[in-house]
Amino acid sequence: MRHHKLKVLLGLVAVAVLVGALSAGVGSAKSDRTAGPAAKQATYKIFLIPKFIGIPVFTLNGKGGKEAGKKLGDTVTYNGPTEASAAKQVPFIDTAVRQGYNAIVISANDPNAVAPALKRAQDRGLKVVSYDADAAKDARTVYVSPPDTQSIGAGLVEWVGSQVGYKGQIAILSATTTAANQNAWIAVIKKTLKKPKYKGLKLAKIAYGNDNDTKSAQETQALLQAYPNLKGIIAPTSVGLPAAARVLQQAKKCGSIALTGLATPNSMRAYTKKGCGKKFGLWNEVDFGYLAVYVAHAVLDGKLTGKAGESLVAGRLGRRTIGKNSTMPMGPPLVFTPKNIDKYHF
Amino acid sequence: MRRVGLGVLVRWETVLVLLILAVGVWCRSLSPLFLTRVNLLDLATPYIFIGLMALGLTFVIIAGEIDISVASILAVSVVVLGQIYEAGANIWFAALVGLLVATGLGLVNGFLVAVVGLPSLAVTLGTLAAYRGLAFLIHSGEGVASFPTQFTNIGIGYVWGQQVPVALLVFLGAAVALGFLLHATRFGRYIYALGANREAARYSGIPVTRARIAVFGLSGLLAGIAGLVYVGFFGSSRADAADGSLLDVVTAVVLGGVDIFGGSGSMVGVVLSVLLVAELRNGMQLDNIGGDTQNIVIGVLLLAAILAGNAIRALQTSGLRTRIARASKKEVVRTAGQAEGTT
Repeated sequence: MRHHKLKVLLGLVAVAVLVGALSAGVGSAKSDRTAGPAAKQATYKIFLIPKFIGIPVFTLNGKGGKEAGKKLGDTVTYNGPTEASAAKQVPFIDTAVRQGYNAIVISANDPNAVAPALKRAQDRGLKVVSYDADAAKDARTVYVSPPDTQSIGAGLVEWVGSQVGYKGQIAILSATTTAANQNAWIAVIKKTLKKPKYKGLKLAKIAYGNDNDTKSAQETQALLQAYPNLKGIIAPTSVGLPAAARVLQQAKKCGSIALTGLATPNSMRAYTKKGCGKKFGLWNEVDFGYLAVYVAHAVLDGKLTGKAGESLVAGRLGRRTIGKNSTMPMGPPLVFTPKNIDKYHF
Repeated sequence: MRRVGLGVLVRWETVLVLLILAVGVWCRSLSPLFLTRVNLLDLATPYIFIGLMALGLTFVIIAGEIDISVASILAVSVVVLGQIYEAGANIWFAALVGLLVATGLGLVNGFLVAVVGLPSLAVTLGTLAAYRGLAFLIHSGEGVASFPTQFTNIGIGYVWGQQVPVALLVFLGAAVALGFLLHATRFGRYIYALGANREAARYSGIPVTRARIAVFGLSGLLAGIAGLVYVGFFGSSRADAADGSLLDVVTAVVLGGVDIFGGSGSMVGVVLSVLLVAELRNGMQLDNIGGDTQNIVIGVLLLAAILAGNAIRALQTSGLRTRIARASKKEVVRTAGQAEGTT
């Protein structure tokens, strides 16, 4: 019988420990919340849900979103699952509805799987804006997309061409053979190369580094060996570009081979300053979140309904216009050079 | 001996109930929205597909095995369902084929474990990857998204004045049926005997091979049912369905008081733990606590639960004889007693 008392006691201790641990959890979580005294005067409450939290690009989206919220007097909450799973995004959508948020801004892991929850939200009067990765068309009002395929593909060719005098052999270091965005960019690159201006550039090979650092480096080395006259490399992947820069630096080929692509300035800073990858691009992830929240605010105001041709003035980004399919592109990508790279930190 | 075993379960469930109440109080303090009828009734809906997989996995773990391929099985059945429906078949026929495929994949696991004799962790680690690959092979891309409402109601519909989620009833219904199977049938007793000591079970005349295959088939079937609810709730049939939910499934089973080494556990405990995790996530979300912090809290809860469970079991099995038996791997004494009781 003594044991029974002990057991009950143990259960109580367990509960006490848990409650203690849980309260500690709340304390550390406060930083996630933007709600504060200012929230009372806010005009709108906007919930920003990235594909998942914890990686720099989405954190920067959140930063931009909150900056826009401050400008507009809105409360912007940034939160989401820790894995890229649509199933894990849905509870965030549902609780945002119950919490009385006015709008949801989301980068969807699966356009269809989040759609029923987003439609439930719309039925309760919330407005939905998708950004980065679109949701099903009937589940959102506007989609804020990354810079369009055409301007990125054409940009990549120009960035490498201008470095080599528009003449010579070039190669592409891509991610995987199946990546939709990579293949779309490669198609534009091939089309652009047919233009008279770029006739002197010859595409020798497309290599695939699988968005893996080691494989990307190995593929770059193979390119150097197979094409001794190679003049330029285009690496439109944030993993491949720094890997290629590292290989070129080690092989002391930065002077003879021009490198361009897409990556964050932080990952390229050291190389770019030493002349490896003197011109490359990416869209500004802070501005991305900033624009998405501005669009959500305008949709709540009734100023944007998703029709082509509608426009808004998005704070420091200036006027932006909606195109086909209720889609508003981010505008042209940013171009980084040794001169301007220190202005950007992401 | 059985009486003592049941006693443990009752007490573990008591701890879970206390935890649900304590967490409820805490969530109430986090957000005034927590204790509303709409929120309470709907709080578990997004997690029902995880709960259903956990119910199936419960059998596997009690039998002393593991099945980490359940989320991949769900994906295959979901994709098969979507493709068959898109080809023009009746949705219920498509659902039935999905269930059969899921059960079949589970039986393949069972065959490899029980007949070929491979360890279940290795087998289902292999099929975890292989089945997911199969799902992508069958259909990669956006998948089907427009299912008829009468079908999606399984996951997203409401009954009784549009108040009670159908998915919750599916879950509780499955739990009652499986609870009966586990606790009140001969098959259920076989499962416990298997998990406690497989050799002893074999010598006491239990059809060990057949029972082990059946356990994996059951786990597959439940993953299939979870797939139906998944498609109903999320309205999407993509090959990456339920990716990343495996940990939640295992958490639900272990937190439910099922011994990870097999031989003990109860259906009620697993149901309570599914509800507890859903409650905890819901409360924290209503307070906008970050997803990463949520994971830490759930992780701490799981660890604390295992520690508490172990302590309780240690207290229960007082007496030198049992302790020695336990230390030498499994409780031979208890198993023998149990096995005898079943024959």
